[in-house]
Amino acid sequence: MNALRFGLAALPRRPLLALAAWSVPEALPSALLGVAVARAVDSGFLAGRPVVGLAWLGVLLLAAGVGAIGARQVFRRLGDVVEPFRDELVRRVVGGALRRAVAGQPDDGAVVRLTRQVEIVRDTYAGLIVVVRGFVVTVVGAAVGLMSVAPVIGLLILPPFVLGVAAFVATLGFAAERQRAAVRTDERLSATAGAVLAGVRDVVARGAEEHAAAMVAGPIREQAAAERALAGTAALRTLCFAVGGWLPLVVVLAAGPWLVRRGLTAGAIMGALTYVLFALQPALSRLMSGLGGSGLRFVVTLDRILTASTVVTASAPRPVAARGYDVVLRGVTFRYGPHAEPVLRDLDLILPEGDHLAIVGPSGIGKSTMASLVCGLLSPASGSILVGGAPAGVMPGTRVLIPQEAYVFAGTVRENLLYLRPGASTVEVEAAVEAVGASTLVDRLGGMEAPVRPDELSAGERQLIALARAYLSPAPLVVLDEATCHLDPAAERVAEEAFAAREGTLIVIAHRVTSAERARRILVLDGVSPDLGTHAALLSRNPLYRELHGLWHPGLIAGASPTPARPSPPVKPSALPGLPALRRAWPSDPADQGQPHAV
Amino acid sequence: MTTASFGAVARRGGRWLPFVAVAALSGTAVTLALPAVLGRAIDAIVAGGGSGTWVALAGGLVALGVAGELLGAYAGTITVATAAAWLRERLVRHVLSAGRGVDAGDLVSRVSANAVDAAQAGPTAVSVATAILPPAGSLVLLTLIDPWLALAFLCGLALVGAVLRAFTRRTAEVVGAYQRAQGRIAARLTEALGGARTIAAAGTTEREERRVLAPLADLRAEGERTWRVLARSSGQAAAAGPLVLVAVLAAGGLALAAGRISAGDLFAAGRYAVIGAGLGGLTGTLAGLARARAALHRVGEVLARPTIQYGPAALPPGPGRLEFRGVAVRSGDATLLDGVDLAVPGGAAVAVVGRSGAGKSVLAAVAARLRDPDEGEVRLDGVPLTDLSHGALRAAVGCAFERPVLIGGTVADAVGLGLARDRVRGAALATHADDFVSRLPLGYDTPLADAPMSGGERQRLGLARAWHAERLLVLDDATSSLDTVTEMQISRTLTADGRGRTRLIVTHRAATASRADLVVWLDAGRVRAVGSHAALCDDPDYRAVFV
Repeated sequence: MNALRFGLAALPRRPLLALAAWSVPEALPSALLGVAVARAVDSGFLAGRPVVGLAWLGVLLLAAGVGAIGARQVFRRLGDVVEPFRDELVRRVVGGALRRAVAGQPDDGAVVRLTRQVEIVRDTYAGLIVVVRGFVVTVVGAAVGLMSVAPVIGLLILPPFVLGVAAFVATLGFAAERQRAAVRTDERLSATAGAVLAGVRDVVARGAEEHAAAMVAGPIREQAAAERALAGTAALRTLCFAVGGWLPLVVVLAAGPWLVRRGLTAGAIMGALTYVLFALQPALSRLMSGLGGSGLRFVVTLDRILTASTVVTASAPRPVAARGYDVVLRGVTFRYGPHAEPVLRDLDLILPEGDHLAIVGPSGIGKSTMASLVCGLLSPASGSILVGGAPAGVMPGTRVLIPQEAYVFAGTVRENLLYLRPGASTVEVEAAVEAVGASTLVDRLGGMEAPVRPDELSAGERQLIALARAYLSPAPLVVLDEATCHLDPAAERVAEEAFAAREGTLIVIAHRVTSAERARRILVLDGVSPDLGTHAALLSRNPLYRELHGLWHPGLIAGASPTPARPSPPVKPSALPGLPALRRAWPSDPADQGQPHAV
Repeated sequence: MTTASFGAVARRGGRWLPFVAVAALSGTAVTLALPAVLGRAIDAIVAGGGSGTWVALAGGLVALGVAGELLGAYAGTITVATAAAWLRERLVRHVLSAGRGVDAGDLVSRVSANAVDAAQAGPTAVSVATAILPPAGSLVLLTLIDPWLALAFLCGLALVGAVLRAFTRRTAEVVGAYQRAQGRIAARLTEALGGARTIAAAGTTEREERRVLAPLADLRAEGERTWRVLARSSGQAAAAGPLVLVAVLAAGGLALAAGRISAGDLFAAGRYAVIGAGLGGLTGTLAGLARARAALHRVGEVLARPTIQYGPAALPPGPGRLEFRGVAVRSGDATLLDGVDLAVPGGAAVAVVGRSGAGKSVLAAVAARLRDPDEGEVRLDGVPLTDLSHGALRAAVGCAFERPVLIGGTVADAVGLGLARDRVRGAALATHADDFVSRLPLGYDTPLADAPMSGGERQRLGLARAWHAERLLVLDDATSSLDTVTEMQISRTLTADGRGRTRLIVTHRAATASRADLVVWLDAGRVRAVGSHAALCDDPDYRAVFV
């Protein structure tokens, strides 16, 4: 078991030794219990010396006091064992989730893993240590006590007890398998029910209630079957307890007359039964519920954490000294799966240093894929992408990518701005803020040292911060992937012009066609044959580009205009261009609602 | 039965529940009888001769106890599994037939967690009924052996209670601080995961990892505090543990020395002291009962929601004429729609426009019978929607949403929801969803989880899902994330497909309104005007709707 090995390997030696050492005083009460009862009866109460009997009982209280000191220290040491283990798990979960997300595998479960699952493992890990250690301590103590009361009784009691424990341990693997199956069905049920119940409105609108109910009914029944299968393991556990906990008692009673004939006293027999009923049985029952309950939870949950946090990363490419930052794509083909239509097919593109390129096309056609390819976040199925002669992605410092969803973290404004260039001076930072048009925002937030709460910023404000940060970065190659989509057209123009004036290459995945007009060259992606050219050239030769451009500019129905400089007369619906000629069209964004849409 | 009563759930456990009760009762009897029998057996053994009966009796009791345990463990698990499955199926079906107004996350917790807790109703009722017996019986039996024993027992118990009091309060406080530290890490992780693409491009993964993990030291410190608190209370528990037993043994020892009781009685007394101290376990049983009741209440709340009732009628042939007659919809004190009278000619495309909160989506929901009006009625080709059978209504009317929720294993399942594959493909072609679905790793067989989609792509699938509708398509802002040309192409397909379906299109876009045959302008729940877009455009208030 992977999880079990991991848990054992994580046990630190020194705290563990301290734990074992403090277990000795903790074991004192269970070791003395039977002896004290036997002596109190035989040499005290039955011998007509009640004071001696009471004194032996006093010894028990004393032992409980010593045991309490032991127990207290044991739990403090337990923290020394468990806390580092939890730290390790948190590191794994965080590191794994980050690396997966960075590798483009979003992971919705990471936060639940961090808060719920890690805690389950922490609690059950501690619980397991407590239970196993407590069992060993009690059994050793009781065995020593039994032997000192009368070795022959010890020999009668211990074999069935050991047999019961061994039988229980032998069933653990089987029980774990069933438990795991139950957990799996439980998760499948939650996932399916979650998906279906989130879509009740949609199901009802479609009249597919029966279909949806049947989708959930399957997992419900599987889950019930898995739970019923657990009934067998519960019964098996009860049998093991009967052998380990009750059989010793029956054996001692059956052998009673024979023992008495051999000279054993009432106190000795009472002492022996006391060990069975008051020490061994509770220890065994705690072991069973501990291993069977938290032990299985531990293994199952830890397994899940370890699996989910394992990241298969290709070995990081060795940094290669790039010469410059010209971008060269040769014969690039990219598809999201072996059976999928390619998003890009055999694309050639050369961007000399200092170029300004806009990429336009309908949503979902592969514009963001282009950005990821140029930045080395995705690898093409065939062809090569070189930046400064080195494979894209080898030199992260060469380029900066700002995606549509700008990343702003809780920290000060300055910390956020310095993210890509920690050493920048205040003057440089202020210049960058000014350049992209973020001064008003920074002032409103309360200046450079003011704290930023990402969830209190609008999407556009987050984009402004990300833009200032990118402007400030030393990277000569800047890729804006719809990075200004939440800004209004005027603010977008300010930011884009700032980047165009900045030294280096600029690639803009255009959200509005106006972005394209500002670029030196434009790449039109239509899913079939990419077309590269200037605004004027494309307007004259590329019908899709013409349509995109026309869509944005002519029909301004309700007054507002993205490019107030170019008002156009309204166009009546009857004046629609020939639709069948359109293959793909200019995307609009939900954020644009209320903006005019041309007809 | 609309609610889940305790008894109903308990009965649903099926034929195994009586066995749970039998097992619990026999277990109690064994627990109480065994110490006394063991005491007698010890006395008989020590006295020599004649011990056979008592030993055999003890052995028999042990065997009975084990058999009871076996039965109880088995029957309890089966009962709960059966009742939980029954409750879950009912919950899901009920929610589906009740339709709107549900919070999915909350419902999932009711289906997955509360249903199991509620299913415990039968077994917990049994354990509560029997749990009081061993401790109470022990006290009685102690008194019977020697009244002083009972007194010693109660004194010991009082001592233990005094020692263990302050424990839960301290724990709660420390655990709160610990969870806050944990929350700080979780918040940072969430942020960083949201910015994964930026981080990937900047190559700052390690720096982010350090930033997220910065509060880990606090977590460690708070964690260590929890262990110190636990250590203190464990120490107290270990010190207080044997108090009851020692008190009873001391009183019993003196009685033994005085000749009032036998050695066997003393042994039995010690055992009863331990069973009696199990009184603390009773709170756990009662808590279980309280949990089952609370869970039943949560389950019952869902089952008490009214379901949509369908009529028996089929639709006569017709063009898809849609009429609203005096429709009013209220929610609490708020009036969402008021006095809406509308007649939409069959086959027309009607845009519904208005500011946010004007009642557009409510009108759409009423038209698709996702919600019934509080006053008035809606008719399709002359038949009130409420008279239509489930099959007739849903075959005639389809509805697509601004944020469609896609359900199913694969993209094809999500669009089809039980429909044949060729119809799925046809609908996807018509709504231009085929363009991007064919680029997914496994095309139509791509699992939904592996098909990250933009809002516009989801909308196209949502439209495809509603495409089957025969007479009326209600589009509730269902193309808002589409690029304008795709939207136009889809609306062309709608007009040109020859099926002449009536379309009710809620929209924020002037362009969409301008293409419609008729525009219904809603304002504060009332119809402010009906007319062509061009005619309405003269009103500046109307134009302001689109800004």
